[in-house]
Amino acid sequence: MKNKYSLFPGCISKNMYPSIEKSTRIVFDKIGIELLDHKYSCCPAPGVFRGYDRNTHMTLGVRNIVMASQDDVDVLTICNGCYGSLWEANEMFKKSKENQEFVNEMLGKIGLSYDGNTEVYHFADILHESLDKLKENKELDLGLRVAIHYGCHYLRPSAKHPDLNPEAPHIVEDIVEALGCESVDFKNKLSCCGAGGGVWSGAEDVSLKILDEKLGNVEEANVDCMLNICPFCHLQLDQGQAKLKKYKIPILHLSELIGLAFGVRPKHLAMHTHMVSTRDLEKKIKKAKRSKE
Amino acid sequence: MSEDPYEIEQFKKILEDSKILSCVQCGKCTAGCPAGRQSRIRIRELIHLAQDGVDLKDDPSLWYCTTCYNCQERCPKGVDTTEAVIYLRNRAVRKGDHNFPPLHVTAIKSLRDKGDGFPLSPEVEKIRSIIGLPIRPDDLAHDEKYLKDFTKLIDELGILKLVENKDGEQ
Repeated sequence: MKNKYSLFPGCISKNMYPSIEKSTRIVFDKIGIELLDHKYSCCPAPGVFRGYDRNTHMTLGVRNIVMASQDDVDVLTICNGCYGSLWEANEMFKKSKENQEFVNEMLGKIGLSYDGNTEVYHFADILHESLDKLKENKELDLGLRVAIHYGCHYLRPSAKHPDLNPEAPHIVEDIVEALGCESVDFKNKLSCCGAGGGVWSGAEDVSLKILDEKLGNVEEANVDCMLNICPFCHLQLDQGQAKLKKYKIPILHLSELIGLAFGVRPKHLAMHTHMVSTRDLEKKIKKAKRSKE
Repeated sequence: MSEDPYEIEQFKKILEDSKILSCVQCGKCTAGCPAGRQSRIRIRELIHLAQDGVDLKDDPSLWYCTTCYNCQERCPKGVDTTEAVIYLRNRAVRKGDHNFPPLHVTAIKSLRDKGDGFPLSPEVEKIRSIIGLPIRPDDLAHDEKYLKDFTKLIDELGILKLVENKDGEQ
């Protein structure tokens, strides 16, 4: 495992839910992995940009990867959308000579080029490799009942994770259990939140109906919170509840959950930026047993 | 370029890369489609029409796919169904489809001008500073030189021209 990555925070965590960026930085610092910053643009958002022009999407994705490659580090994403975008752009580049020529001709116009030697990772995979470190740094046994939402573009296309069964993953479950929480099963657990593919911005009625079905299934499971590994899913699950006006399920990104388990106080993460109040959850966390003396 | 890849005969060849000709219309894609349960998109039907070379421009259901990849993962014939939907969208846009949503155009313009699909607001700047993050991220959006190069690159790629055709000129 590497001890240094370039952090690709993504638009939503930087610009809408800074609690996600902040907790990510705290968590990786504590487990001894350095995160660098680079001049990144939006990944660009796959739902919109790939749907309009695959070549634009690939070229702008590779431009981002080049920023990290210039410092000889790999890219660490904390969002399934960013992960999907950059992984796909990298694959398209690596697999086709025609794409390599196209992208490098375009990048050449702004004085850049790419050799295809940089990798793109999802933070959940890196954290899963660091389970021992997570346990070492845990200050609280949160004891929460958690509904895990993977989000589509972590699991699929499954070529991203040759060793993972996209119909029965366990990466996030392992992390949640290492933090002293319970992963609670619910109907259609691996289904979509309704935000991807440009549907969130393009067909809100369809997007919210898909979300409603998902949240209804989570509600039946009687959990303390719903956990995600993607700020775009996070946005949909959190803000979508304000639009649906039916549910009050607190939404946490995995970095936030780990930050809280590491003993970071909720106000230091600006948890109040969530649309669905996390106050009841915070009360429960206050009463949580300390893992260390 | 001598041939426009988005003309139908050429485009059928592009779609063959997604293996759509192997489709046996079993319907497993539609059965597992979260958008199909809530709207009128039918992946099986889209693939069938694409096999026949039917022009899917102006079919709003093309934009209801969340690209969850359930259908593609579950296809017993190995058809890249989700990739095919993305190709079909690319073609529809090239052909002057009038169904693409206005907020998509906003996102494309925002990316070109600001470097982010969801730009930073003054409210969030304040929260960032309270929790000890740099008020403005150390990113492309806040670096004049990088942003200028980026805008140039997007203009070279020409994506904005595709959506600007929406309001009129053919």
